[in-house]
Amino acid sequence: MAEKKEAERILSDPPEEKEKRAKKPEKKKKSAMADPRDYEDYKNSIPEDEIWTWQIEGLQAPHVHKEYHNAALKKFIVVIVLLVSIGLAIYFSVRAVHNVTYKYQDMPEGGVMLVKFSNPGDITEVTLDFADGDENRPITALREYAFNCDEKITEVTIGRDVTSLDGKTFYTCNALKAIHVDPDNPAYCDLDGVLFTKDLTELICYPIDHDQYLRDKYGYDRQYWPENAEYDAKYEMLINTYVVPPEVKVVGKLAFNYAELFNVYLPEGLERIETLGFFRNWHLADLRTYTGEVTFEPEGKAKTSKDFTEKPSLPDSLTFIGSDAFNSAICINYLYIPANVQEIGHHAFWGMAENEDDRLVKEIYIARSEEDFKKNVKTGDQWMGQYDHGLFPKNTDVVYGQTRKTLEEIGKAATK
Amino acid sequence: MAGDRMAKLKGFAGNIREHWNTPEEGRYVPYKEYLDIFVGVGSNYAGSKTLEYIGFGAWCYLMMYHYKLPLLTYSVIGIINMPLGYIWTLIWWYVCDNLGFLAKKTERTLYIIYCSMIAVGLALIIAPVSLLFDQSGGFVTYLNSFEGISCASAFKILGTHILYNGWVGARNIFWRKHLLPKYGRYKYGLYCDYLPKCIMVILIGWLPLYNIPDVVTRVWASNLLFACYNVFGFGNNLETCTQNISPNSRERILVRTYPIKLSHLAQSILAIILPAIIGMLKGDWQSINIFRYVIPITFITFATLTMIFAGRIKERIPQPPLERKVSIGFWDGMFGVMGNKYRWVITIVRLLDSLGNGMLAFTTILYLYTFRLSGLTYSLLVALVSFAGTPPDFFTPYFMKRFSFRQVMIFFQLSRAVGFSVIVAALYFFRDRLVLSGIICVVMLILMEMCKTVPVSIEHDMDVRINDYQMYLSGERLESFSGVFGWFTGPITSFVGLIIPLLLLQYGFNSNWDVLYIDESRVNIIIVPIIIDIIGYLLMTIPYFFWDYDDDKQNKVMAVLKRREEVTTAQAESRVKEEIANG
Repeated sequence: MAEKKEAERILSDPPEEKEKRAKKPEKKKKSAMADPRDYEDYKNSIPEDEIWTWQIEGLQAPHVHKEYHNAALKKFIVVIVLLVSIGLAIYFSVRAVHNVTYKYQDMPEGGVMLVKFSNPGDITEVTLDFADGDENRPITALREYAFNCDEKITEVTIGRDVTSLDGKTFYTCNALKAIHVDPDNPAYCDLDGVLFTKDLTELICYPIDHDQYLRDKYGYDRQYWPENAEYDAKYEMLINTYVVPPEVKVVGKLAFNYAELFNVYLPEGLERIETLGFFRNWHLADLRTYTGEVTFEPEGKAKTSKDFTEKPSLPDSLTFIGSDAFNSAICINYLYIPANVQEIGHHAFWGMAENEDDRLVKEIYIARSEEDFKKNVKTGDQWMGQYDHGLFPKNTDVVYGQTRKTLEEIGKAATK
Repeated sequence: MAGDRMAKLKGFAGNIREHWNTPEEGRYVPYKEYLDIFVGVGSNYAGSKTLEYIGFGAWCYLMMYHYKLPLLTYSVIGIINMPLGYIWTLIWWYVCDNLGFLAKKTERTLYIIYCSMIAVGLALIIAPVSLLFDQSGGFVTYLNSFEGISCASAFKILGTHILYNGWVGARNIFWRKHLLPKYGRYKYGLYCDYLPKCIMVILIGWLPLYNIPDVVTRVWASNLLFACYNVFGFGNNLETCTQNISPNSRERILVRTYPIKLSHLAQSILAIILPAIIGMLKGDWQSINIFRYVIPITFITFATLTMIFAGRIKERIPQPPLERKVSIGFWDGMFGVMGNKYRWVITIVRLLDSLGNGMLAFTTILYLYTFRLSGLTYSLLVALVSFAGTPPDFFTPYFMKRFSFRQVMIFFQLSRAVGFSVIVAALYFFRDRLVLSGIICVVMLILMEMCKTVPVSIEHDMDVRINDYQMYLSGERLESFSGVFGWFTGPITSFVGLIIPLLLLQYGFNSNWDVLYIDESRVNIIIVPIIIDIIGYLLMTIPYFFWDYDDDKQNKVMAVLKRREEVTTAQAESRVKEEIANG
């Protein structure tokens, strides 16, 4: 013990160090880190037989080659605490990741909302009318992302009481072929598996795998691509072409996301294409605007009304293009922004051209003059998209004050 | 004045020449070894960082774009592996903290256990065990209800876990015992893992398991592939070794501040070049060629350089010779670490830090989904932000002298809380003005990075000091047994770690990340987890008020360790002489 005290004294108060410190200014003394070499004397003062027991002042004593007091009790406590901890960890974790198939939430105005659907793996068709089959608990709302990421559901039937849902409800349901709506539903309806508001003014959801629904309907046994011999104009018309009904004013959020469409006919009268409306439409090449009526017969012929007309690209009636609306639609061959458009969201045409050589859309044509466009059209950041150009990306070229080209001019024959 | 500087410079150069091969008095590392550290650690760090592109998690581009596993599946696999994991860990600690030197009987028993595990694991993977159960019964139905998992695949996943742990455990005893005496406790792993790791890195890119159409099969097969990949490690072993390169704590921090920090330049350059190369590939980050060519070539190059320089870097922990080392019983190890007050403080801090577990990489979202960067632009911004922390790090020795560990760490947590609060405000109030909010975020990231590197360096140094202190307390460093604290905190961290993924699912997040293009979802997905994280940072300041381990105590601890080494070495030598004398 005396040796230990002596060692502490040597370290804390060596005369020459004391003298040195006295000469140093106060500030430096405060910040000085002790040199490890100063501790040589301290080390040498530790007796050989105390190397495993020597206690440093202010620290705990070493515990080497010694028994622990009350070891049995301590072991018991540690084991119990650990078992409880492990048990709780497993219990909470299992509870957290295990989902009931249908999770509902009561709505204040009556009825229930479907909050989350978790597919146990074998459900492919869902009818959303009553919670757990109880007719006293009608489903009145579907939460956004309720079917997020489901890969099995192919058909959904929406009951008569559902009056609230949006395009995100069926977000990334990659196998979804059709959405059917009870005819008595006052808010929504479907046209051949595509979801609309009842008055047809908004197209809410074109299911991601709707082309499979159409193949089933028209008797095609598998998917064909233009490079396949079986791929012909009839297949393209029936499976990869969609005519948005003439009543539609709004293409909803995510309405056509991931759709396998090559050609889309938009009605003159369409006013808004919402955020991500045509998101990731990798193969969408031909956007057309039409007036009048057009339907496709099972034989692969287009039936048009007398007043039918068509022209390339977006309708003149369009006023709003949402953010990322055409993100990754890399095949679009001609893009014309009509004069009525007043707002274009950020990244609306992002990813439409990947690099200088591959890009199909060399320029975006705009009806308004440059001055008029920059003054009167509200545009989000990077709305026009970019393509790789050398080491850094370059904005897609924009040409102002243009008139719309004809179908012949862009090398596309009219449907007529 | 200029003459003084020249004289100092000449003196410095002369000092380096003089001590190129032999260290100066009171120091342990010759300057030649500084050069070896620069190249060796640089290569090791760059190699291990390259491997960060590969992993069994939703964050990995390979998993995100090619395997496309359901997000919750990773958590479910974690839960399947959790209960048995505790048992394997106990054995692992015992083996590691005795450096692989076990009594003959214990060693034999452990080998039998590990070999049996390999056999059971293989059997569970190959045999259709699930058929033993009633297919319409509750057990099978329950297991089938998890995303990406079925009853049959759950047994294969369990088998993979058992196989992996048996294989790793047996290797651990074998290689530690054979390689540790020659290469030291920190870098021996490089010698046994280098070659198989290179092979596995190549296989990860070339085995087309991601083409399996059925998601359940894809899940268990990829889990098995990544388990085999993880059997072989390639951590930043040389840097760990350099953390123990000298018993002189000043010298340790000098090595950490200069040659090691400079060695990280290799990785910084790589961080610019790799994404630029990836940007040139068709499909950018989605290209499988990243995993077939870019990653394997980069990794193998740096791993080979690492192996060339590994032998020239030495660890210098003052410790008794192996034949006189303290043998650690299981309960000695448990009680030893639990008796260390500083480990408790660190545990509480890390527990609070777990509040942010499960959040997505904010910077990745910012760069890829807000700014839509790719190629060289992306690399340059990433490099700018990460480089911002390098200059302050050169002043770490100054900050260590000037401020206590407690002051530095409290400042660090507060700087993170303030920085992230500004980011949340920018994202919330300027949500429609992507460029403006993005610029504010990047500026804050740079400032936070500048405030981060010094505390992180000091914290790493403190971790090494706490191991020194543990060696003073228990006779061994007990680095593995210190993992028991994770057991106490495990229930909380695993539960808390699930809160954010479940929230993200509600906001529409899934394995394809595309929901991040939707503004309101992106804001929710970023902001809510960051707010939870900020709360964690503020709470983390509290435990540091109880920290009182300072330089004086550390130097005394090292003095005790050196004294122990001196005495036990002398005892070992005298015993050898005695044995020789006795014939």
